[in-house]
Amino acid sequence: MTSNFQNIDRIIQEKGAEKKSLIPILQAIQHEYNYLPEEALKYLAEKTSITPSEIVGVASFYKQFRMQPAGKHLVKICVGTACHVKGASLVHDAFRRHFNLPQGTDTDDTGEYTLEKVSCLGCCTLAPVVQVDDITYGHVAPDQVDKVIADFESQQGKKGAKKFRKADGTEIKGEIRIGLGSCCVASGSGEIEQEVESVVNRSGLRVKLKHVGCVGMCHQVPLVEVVPNEGEPTLYAKVKPEDVKRIIESHFEPPGILSKIKSRLFHFAEEIQTDRNWDGVQRYEISMREKPVASFLGNQIPIATEYRGIINPLDIEDYQRRGGFSSLKKMFEMLSPDQVVEEVKKSGIRGRGGAGFPTGVKWEFVKKEKSEVKYLICNGDEGDPGAFMDRMLLESYPYRVIEGMIIAAYAVGIHHGYFYIRAEYPLAVKRVRKALEICRENNFLGNDIMGSGFDLELNIYEGAGAFVCGEETALIASVEGSRGFPRIRPPFPAQKGLWGHPTLVNNTETMAQISYIIREGAEKFSGIGTHGNTGTKVFALAGKVARGGLIEVPMGITIHEVVEVIGGGIANGKKFKAVQIGGPSGGCIPAEYADTPIDYESLTAMGAMMGSGGLVVLDETDCMVDMARFFLSFTQDESCGKCTFCRVGTRRMLDILENITAGKGKPGDIEELEKLAEWTKKGSLCGLGKTAPNPVISTLKYFRNEYEAHINGVCPTGKCTGLITYSVNDDCIGCTMCAQKCPVDAIPFTPHEKHSIDTGLCIKCDSCRAACPVDAIDVK
Amino acid sequence: MIKLKINNREIQVEEGTSVMKAAQQAGIDVPNLCWHDELEHFTSCMLCLVKDGRNGKLIPSCSIEATNGMDVITDDDEVAEARKTALELLLSEHVGDCEAPCQVACPAHMNIPLMNRLIAAGKFDESLEAVKRDIALPAVLGRICPAPCEGACHRKTVDEPVSICMLKRFVGDKGTGNVIAPAEETEYKVAVIGAGPAGLAAAYYLRLRGIKVTLFDKADKAGGQLRTEISSDILPPDVLDKEIAAILQTGVNFQGGKSIDAEMFAEIRKEFNAVVVASGTIGDESSGFGLKATPKGFVVDKNSYQTSIENVFAIGNALRTSRLAVRSVGQGKEVAFSVWQYLCGQPVKGESRIFNSRFGKLVSEEFSEFMKESAPAKRNYPDAGGDHGFSAEEAVAEAKRCLHCDCRAIDDCKLRIYSDRYQADQKRFKTSERRKITKLTTHSTLVYEPQKCIKCGICVRLTEKEGEKFGFTYVGRGFDVEMGVPFNEELEQGLTETAEKVAKSCPTGAISFKTTCPPE
Repeated sequence: MTSNFQNIDRIIQEKGAEKKSLIPILQAIQHEYNYLPEEALKYLAEKTSITPSEIVGVASFYKQFRMQPAGKHLVKICVGTACHVKGASLVHDAFRRHFNLPQGTDTDDTGEYTLEKVSCLGCCTLAPVVQVDDITYGHVAPDQVDKVIADFESQQGKKGAKKFRKADGTEIKGEIRIGLGSCCVASGSGEIEQEVESVVNRSGLRVKLKHVGCVGMCHQVPLVEVVPNEGEPTLYAKVKPEDVKRIIESHFEPPGILSKIKSRLFHFAEEIQTDRNWDGVQRYEISMREKPVASFLGNQIPIATEYRGIINPLDIEDYQRRGGFSSLKKMFEMLSPDQVVEEVKKSGIRGRGGAGFPTGVKWEFVKKEKSEVKYLICNGDEGDPGAFMDRMLLESYPYRVIEGMIIAAYAVGIHHGYFYIRAEYPLAVKRVRKALEICRENNFLGNDIMGSGFDLELNIYEGAGAFVCGEETALIASVEGSRGFPRIRPPFPAQKGLWGHPTLVNNTETMAQISYIIREGAEKFSGIGTHGNTGTKVFALAGKVARGGLIEVPMGITIHEVVEVIGGGIANGKKFKAVQIGGPSGGCIPAEYADTPIDYESLTAMGAMMGSGGLVVLDETDCMVDMARFFLSFTQDESCGKCTFCRVGTRRMLDILENITAGKGKPGDIEELEKLAEWTKKGSLCGLGKTAPNPVISTLKYFRNEYEAHINGVCPTGKCTGLITYSVNDDCIGCTMCAQKCPVDAIPFTPHEKHSIDTGLCIKCDSCRAACPVDAIDVK
Repeated sequence: MIKLKINNREIQVEEGTSVMKAAQQAGIDVPNLCWHDELEHFTSCMLCLVKDGRNGKLIPSCSIEATNGMDVITDDDEVAEARKTALELLLSEHVGDCEAPCQVACPAHMNIPLMNRLIAAGKFDESLEAVKRDIALPAVLGRICPAPCEGACHRKTVDEPVSICMLKRFVGDKGTGNVIAPAEETEYKVAVIGAGPAGLAAAYYLRLRGIKVTLFDKADKAGGQLRTEISSDILPPDVLDKEIAAILQTGVNFQGGKSIDAEMFAEIRKEFNAVVVASGTIGDESSGFGLKATPKGFVVDKNSYQTSIENVFAIGNALRTSRLAVRSVGQGKEVAFSVWQYLCGQPVKGESRIFNSRFGKLVSEEFSEFMKESAPAKRNYPDAGGDHGFSAEEAVAEAKRCLHCDCRAIDDCKLRIYSDRYQADQKRFKTSERRKITKLTTHSTLVYEPQKCIKCGICVRLTEKEGEKFGFTYVGRGFDVEMGVPFNEELEQGLTETAEKVAKSCPTGAISFKTTCPPE
């Protein structure tokens, strides 16, 4: 067998033959074969000092590694929070049905497609999202699965095919959005709408007309936004009917007629989707990412996201023109390492990874350690369903993060650092890699940086898919080439970290804010936010909000401001119910506490957590027990399995929640769940287990009545499929739409007669209800 | 030196000592499963949680170094509840029986699997010894017992239960003499009133403890209802005589033809250190004994059989009328233990039953796993007809059908010991379907039962430290993680030099020796 593995010899030569190279080696092998063939691993064990036990232990720990060959195409179904609340699990079930996958398999029998659940693709406003290889489909409904696959197949082999298309094959050039909030309507948006329609119809343009809810800029109404497929969307304020024609022509006519009447107010680098009346599927290119929502009414302050939408991620000159690397100049010329630490301490910045430990104090700890060798790690192992700010920062502002790392390294006295980036973020890895290269070329990295005499080498370490590696001790274990098991602290990484040396681990967002502090001074930073919670925080705003995306807001801003003003309130006129903050470690805060300021202490007091910054807005149709189940199923799946309370405790909590949501709950379950949540929190080894019960505890605190209703056999929002039945009411017009859409033939094809649903066959996929033109499907 | 307080006691330990070791040095036991003296701490089982009195937080004591000024509490209610909860979580995924279901079902709690294995090995005298540890009248019961054990037998789910009762009869018939010698004679004197199955058993087990026993019965010959109520076709008198003789031969002073009335009872109480009343359903005679009673029988403590009078114990039909002789025989054994506690001045609590892990019914996917250690043959019936019992060959063949349901680590399983200590309830987290049991039996000296594993990782860490080529590794992660040999190699490949050490270090019965005792 040995003769066939020259490729593995090459990989070993490239990556090294030691244990610390194990994960990169496995990644390379998987790249070759699309899985990890056992023979290849055996060969690896023979040729290196890495033991079979280490190889199998590591390969089976990380999600990225596959022990069986995968299909030719990978269908990734996002089951992040935003997608979940918009029905991702129904979509997932529909794909399973489409590929006819029996339980326990995820590749169809032709070997063409492999189905995979992923925790967040970072396109929350397009939820539910499905990615087939490198094409992203947004707003996928369960009954569109066939179309998605058909469309994907039709695109195979077509070079340069249009990336934005409807499933019927027509091209969409873009869309025009008209604000239909009450202020807009009062100011005459109705007239504008008519005018837009007539202009579009006369010109024959293929442009979609969309209505959006209130966008919060009520003093600028009426608003019209033009969103071409390529280039920046543009928002026009105080539009008069006579402006409409020229606005549209300036975007969709051939270039040349540049009648610049537009009052270009804001860059609007975000796709707003408030209604979903799509027939076909919508497809986007892979780089389709959530971009920051522009600042309305000035309540956003971009620090980590400074110059968003303007700066070219890899253009180092552009970055420098806008103040980039000027903090380094200032630091090397004027500040001693001690002074830098002092400045960071004075700024009051706290770790943005979730726990909120004062960054300057952490630096001081590592600085104090007497050791020749110290390491710096930028923690970019974001894995939260519904949080993708680290990815956005690494993709869009790699230099800013590097600048922060140089400052940290100089202050603490470190000469080796790592970017720990999830391998699921290929674009981030690519950008940072390129940025590091350019920095080396420009002497921002390497020896004698900018003539200062300070040396720093930074490298990338690609994570392999384990949420627990966001925990710093697990992250370090992972860099060392081991399973991502956390360790007890103390000793803290500051004392004994990577390979036993003092190690500073900071979150990506923290790093992205450091250069601002040095450049502008600690006082300016600490002037933002509130006492004890200074500066800004980036959130991924998603869910049932009219306007989702990434926002950067000062600490201490209230939930109300974020949801109503920045997010534009709840879409589709539903009632605001709660926000889920902090992802699987966080909790749900109900609408009546919307005046809670967003800071570390207030959120913790409410039973939520800053976490990594997911902020998912829920409306009255969301089931809180299902939300708790959703988050717990995530953490349970991500538990490393080291300690009893997390490994078994989260599993048993999930069992109870699954029973409750399946209608199998019994008296006493709620109390047992509560007790077990308390013990899992108290008894777990690391942050993952200690915070995993939070979504359960907070929903039990604020929405206990919903739990009780489930025990009594009722899901108040009709979300839990085990507790609902579908039926047809008397409004039915006998149009057969439902019967046509039903994937399991539970609705007999009876034209012109009232339809009926065979509840024995019904799989509660919701296709009939979505298809019915007259709301004749009841869910009870 | 580090100075700290543990349970309010000032102690000093060397720097670098873990809190758990510090407690142990102070003579305070801290339970642990994932700890191994030759390995670094791993912080997995969380049984060693103790409280840091300064902030009220629970800390895993095996992994945290003692520091100056620490104020550790190892034994308050919260700590106990933490450990109990951890155990209950572990037990919820620990799929296996401690004692075999037959033994649990047996009213006399007889070690049936051991008997079966000894018969299968042709060691008939040893098998009689094993039986007589719990059952004083095996040949008798082997003929009249309704065999609740066979109702519980896992083999019943596969095809038919092991013919346990018939095997016991074989052992009783075949075995010779008194296989268990009584302990050294003591000065204690105990009277047993009534020589039916309960009284005979009590007399026998009291004798084995070296107690001087006088056994009274109103009939001239011992045997009680065994002699009067059962037809001689079923229980031939010579079988009964032989077995009673064996009991009396241990040195029991049998006083036949003596009805004990109230007056005599008072005298006996004076003359003897303790009295065991086994005189059958209560009637006019015994009502004058002055013992608290209901119309059904005497009132006793259900564990110790102690009556309202401290040195008087009552068993058998004197408690309530039952036709289950095996229960009476079992009570005879148990009361001997209580009487012994009384005589020695210990608290009289009776023989406590230690914690038993149970997994319930065997399911069809598991049949083949259990059959790996068993003979596939159908249940044997004596060729010569039921009245004649098994021949030696038949008995051996039948005994080989036993599935070895009892755990090999039954006596030294830390999970069991702690579950008993903290009164853990295995059913608390019975929230989903259990895992299916598998048994890896290909190793020459070991058996690996993955579903008993509690994922402490000792096997992985030990084989790594000892430099096994394959060793053990974690396969998968989270709740579904299992320990196994990498690349699905044979168990024999994974555990070579370290096999014995790993088996000894496994805190449960997941990896254990094939034979019940380690090879010398």
